[in-house]
Amino acid sequence: MKKPTIAIAGLTACSGCQLTFLNCEEELPEIAQRFVVDYFPMGLTERLMTGPIDVAFVEGAISTPDDLETIIKLRSCSRLLVAFGTCALWGGIAAMKNDESRKQLAEAIYGPAAASLMTFNPQPFHRFVKVDFAITGCPPEKGELLTTLAALLRGTLPVFPHYPVCTECRNRENLCLLIECNEICLGPLIQAGCNARCPAVGIKCEGCRGPVTEANVAAETDLLLSKGFSREEIVSRMQRFYPEWNYEQRS
Amino acid sequence: MSNVLEISPITRVEGHGRIKIVRTADKVEKVTLSLYESPRFFEALLKGKSYAELPEIICRICSLCSTVHRICALQAIEKAMHVEVSLQTRLYRELILNGGHIQSHALHLFCLVLPDLFNVSGLSGLTGQAQEELKRGLRIKATGNLIQETVGGRLIHPVTLIPGGMGKPVNKEGLSKLKENLQNTMPETLRAFELFSSFHPNDEKLAKPNYLAVRSETKSLFLGDALAMENGETVPAELYLKILCEQVIGENNAKTTLVNGEPPTVGALARLNLGMRLPPMANTAFQERRLSLKGADIRANNLAQAVELIFAVERSLEIVDILLDASFIREEPARIVPRSGMGSAAVEAPRGVLVQSYGFDSRGICTQADIITPTAINQAAMERDLVTLAKRMEGADDEELTKALEQLVRAYDPCISCAVH
Repeated sequence: MKKPTIAIAGLTACSGCQLTFLNCEEELPEIAQRFVVDYFPMGLTERLMTGPIDVAFVEGAISTPDDLETIIKLRSCSRLLVAFGTCALWGGIAAMKNDESRKQLAEAIYGPAAASLMTFNPQPFHRFVKVDFAITGCPPEKGELLTTLAALLRGTLPVFPHYPVCTECRNRENLCLLIECNEICLGPLIQAGCNARCPAVGIKCEGCRGPVTEANVAAETDLLLSKGFSREEIVSRMQRFYPEWNYEQRS
Repeated sequence: MSNVLEISPITRVEGHGRIKIVRTADKVEKVTLSLYESPRFFEALLKGKSYAELPEIICRICSLCSTVHRICALQAIEKAMHVEVSLQTRLYRELILNGGHIQSHALHLFCLVLPDLFNVSGLSGLTGQAQEELKRGLRIKATGNLIQETVGGRLIHPVTLIPGGMGKPVNKEGLSKLKENLQNTMPETLRAFELFSSFHPNDEKLAKPNYLAVRSETKSLFLGDALAMENGETVPAELYLKILCEQVIGENNAKTTLVNGEPPTVGALARLNLGMRLPPMANTAFQERRLSLKGADIRANNLAQAVELIFAVERSLEIVDILLDASFIREEPARIVPRSGMGSAAVEAPRGVLVQSYGFDSRGICTQADIITPTAINQAAMERDLVTLAKRMEGADDEELTKALEQLVRAYDPCISCAVH
């Protein structure tokens, strides 16, 4: 099989997903030999996208005209576009105040100079382009990235779990931070794949992997309210990675 | 007739930046550095959030510097809340900072800079021309990551370090594994130092940097109570605004700072030049190449980072031994009573001085936030050096000029996501 051509890029992001790629220290030399990297500004000197690209891994949300231009360019010369990371798939941390005035946020930082900034509320990719696959996480799991690359070498894509973090947490026999320790643990609502690494070290799930399918948001909210947390506190925690939760959703 | 050469984006750096050179015939008229990374308004995002949420959010400014952002936030919050943390917590925080330091420098030196030294475009080129060196670098980087994941619970954006303390400490098995790994990595850092010593720019020096660093009284090389300047003056961390005043300038999304009217320089080279106390093996390496590092221009920053790789591994081993001897058990985090007040902290991030300052109301809700990152501090000096180099290279063709200017930017090891935040 011909070596697949890949692109790796970031938009409005922290480079955490690109770093996840570079964190595969043992596998990097092999990856560099089994794939052709066409476009990777953080790791390659060439700054032009020549294409055609088989798979583009792009991280970050879209919040500027430059971002939009980049994602459209990548989409149009790539066979598969992978939304890499929670920002690309759900909006992510930069989107947490999407319901507030962006103009006011900008002015708070830049003062009058904010008027010349071209920025809009950070959006996930699917608002603008068709997305073929997603690897969620903030940061994504190294294992899921490697599984995806390995599957691509065989002409296919992996299947990731669609059950919540709680399933993995119970499997590990972690102490339940939500029920037994009364903390705002978002485990029941969040997509698994991280093997509940945070509860395993005694830290509640912050929801960095975004919503699981059929999340029972209303039940979790009711439970947290009954434990004495204010609605304000609950919403603040939940908005952190995904600003568009449907708080009435039960499945 | 003027022509414009645009290098956009600057490659093999973190984040999005561009260099624009305006020329008339061969003469360089103007050189601008523009960090056009998308602004995310972190300082505004934090307003209205509880102090407990701040470290978890702020570490997402950047993944390469995630650990140090989190620790700096914890320091600032604990100052504001008048909280002291235990010795165990202090040791673990210093250990993870060293881990982050190792990871960041190894990433920079081996993934971002090494291709230039072997004249290849990136990783694939390195696997062809310098596979041995690349693999060595990746092993060193993996050590930094092992520390971060073991201590922090997650490779990027660590989770166990919280206001007042931490989650589960590392067990004996985990610490022993770290010790073994660090011991194997020690000789690798010495070899890395030799490698980077062999590449030394011999041409005419650029401007002498105006150094700035965090002054540390203790054995910890990253944490301190004051900022020290080139001229010997120091300023307490809480009074950072006296010398670091950010301004919005030009087409930049990152704010610029001058110190005493001059562009400041922070980072590994600044730390070494301002007398950072090094442990024995790192000090030996530093003394060996003292002439290339003291009074050098910014291009020696790469070599300075190689010295720091040695010290970070050395110091990590020291800390792991202390932790193994102490056999700490899990402690409850210190109790925090929210109070109104302000807290500022200055920490040496891999790329240089990082300052975070927060104000809270009586419920512990953040009312103001100020973050000054090393790359934002370095911007003015970066542009100054780019102008000098471009003018020196008048007449060179576009390709040669692009190469030289990009390599100069890479020597600063910019982290543009941090600079803009």
